[in-house]
Amino acid sequence: MTVFTALTRASYKANTRDAVTIFFTFAFPLVFLVIFGLIFKGQEVVETGNGYIDFIAPGVLAWGLANAAAFGVAFTLMQWRRDDLLRLIRLTPARISEVVLARLAVAVCIGVAQCLLFIGVATIPLFGMNVAPRWPLALPIMLLGIATFLGVGLIIGAISKTPEAVSAIGNCVVIPMAFLSGAFIPVELMPDWLRSVSYAMPLRYILDGLVYALAGAGEVGDYWRACLVLVGFATVFTAIGLRLFTWSNDE
Amino acid sequence: MQDNAEPAIEVDRLSKSYGAVRAVDGVTLTVPRGEFIGLLGPNGAGKTTLIEIIEGLRTPDTGTVTVLGHHPHPRNRALLPLIGVQTQKSAFFPHLTASEHLETVAAFYGLDRQAAHRALAQVGLTDSADARVTKVSGGQRQRLAIATALVHQPEVIFLDEPTGALDPQARRDLWAVLRQLKGAGKTIVYTTHHLEEAEALCDRVAILHRGRVVALDTPRELISRAAVGTQVLLPVGQIAPEQASSLDGVDSVTVDNGTLTLHTQHLTRVLAALGASTDLDGVQTRAATLEDVYLELIGAQS
Repeated sequence: MTVFTALTRASYKANTRDAVTIFFTFAFPLVFLVIFGLIFKGQEVVETGNGYIDFIAPGVLAWGLANAAAFGVAFTLMQWRRDDLLRLIRLTPARISEVVLARLAVAVCIGVAQCLLFIGVATIPLFGMNVAPRWPLALPIMLLGIATFLGVGLIIGAISKTPEAVSAIGNCVVIPMAFLSGAFIPVELMPDWLRSVSYAMPLRYILDGLVYALAGAGEVGDYWRACLVLVGFATVFTAIGLRLFTWSNDE
Repeated sequence: MQDNAEPAIEVDRLSKSYGAVRAVDGVTLTVPRGEFIGLLGPNGAGKTTLIEIIEGLRTPDTGTVTVLGHHPHPRNRALLPLIGVQTQKSAFFPHLTASEHLETVAAFYGLDRQAAHRALAQVGLTDSADARVTKVSGGQRQRLAIATALVHQPEVIFLDEPTGALDPQARRDLWAVLRQLKGAGKTIVYTTHHLEEAEALCDRVAILHRGRVVALDTPRELISRAAVGTQVLLPVGQIAPEQASSLDGVDSVTVDNGTLTLHTQHLTRVLAALGASTDLDGVQTRAATLEDVYLELIGAQS
């Protein structure tokens, strides 16, 4: 077994045996879909012909992806460092790049599974989401969004020493961002100054990209801008996370 | 192949400070291959720091370390398969079973599941192979941690307080595992607070205090050189302390918990004198142990 296979297998088993993780990764976004679906049921967005669900669903999905990526890596990093698993890995001859790659692959697989389940549920007649023909464009956005929030998770995991700290810091970052980016409330309902704040939120660009790809609304220029900004965020967050990284809590 | 004449570990004038604290202060130590060496000392004596420098987890300020002819720092992928490390925290992959955890570790060394199952059997954990790592008992945790260090059959094994919080039976079981490893020619470096255990297991012990090696020898040699002598114990009241201290060969007398203790370097003379003045039935003798040497050394340095 290669390091890559062994680690992805271990992560798969750990994830599927942990009911809390499964709930927050897969079921929780669906709960929000139901709530927002009920609030905006039947309403149409003027001029576009889209239902509100076409904008709400990408918002909840963007948040779900960001949440799972950030918390997944933050908890794992905190736990592996606290329990000396990082040291254990460092003391084996495994290539560190292979370890990182395995973790990335796990995060991407979770993200893809989230998207499939979420869109699958959102498109049933009860919610009535319509998926635009250019939906494959959601894939790069999804990958870049996951990369960005893996970077965020890397930072949270590096500065947290307990699960409680991960929850507290993570929620302080992700929940306000879900509102300020327009993922939970349409930016159109925000005052102008708050709308400009949304442009500082990485989640805003995942949302823009997903709306363009899935709802078929918006300009192609906004899509490419979203991709570029996410590349920037991902690079900066990952760099900060790596700077803060330590192998052990008593270093 | 490695040159077998080469020592397992060579530590030369090693120092490491944390702020004003000299955690390791000029330690020089050579461990030949196949030796079972114990690092003893109070908490904060520098045992763990010294071990972690040798393992390559910490960088020394000054001095050099070679392990089987390799430098452990920076991360040396040629050396890592040759050493096995059990840390104080039991590092297990969350939500996995004992065998799944070991299979994952084995994969990090490029080994298959046979290696994992061999390690499980080696520490007598085959029956717990399918137990979750979070569900096993304290003794089994320690054994699983040791199995983790043995998966790749390393030449040099580092164990940090492997018998820490174990009940007496579990400790004896672990001793058997450690003796087996020693019998297989492995070099073992271990730390413990159980001095009678170190005396029973180790070829040599190094006693550390404030980052320095204050004694390094076989337990037997340390005991005889320290001249802590033998103790003769008898119930209080059987003989007056004043009378006891005047007996032939008695160096000193202490009274503690209903026991009168006579300290001597000349056991037969004391017993002869004692036998002339009282009944010897309730009398016990206690030979000096490593613990006496340890307490004397650490006490003298403090």
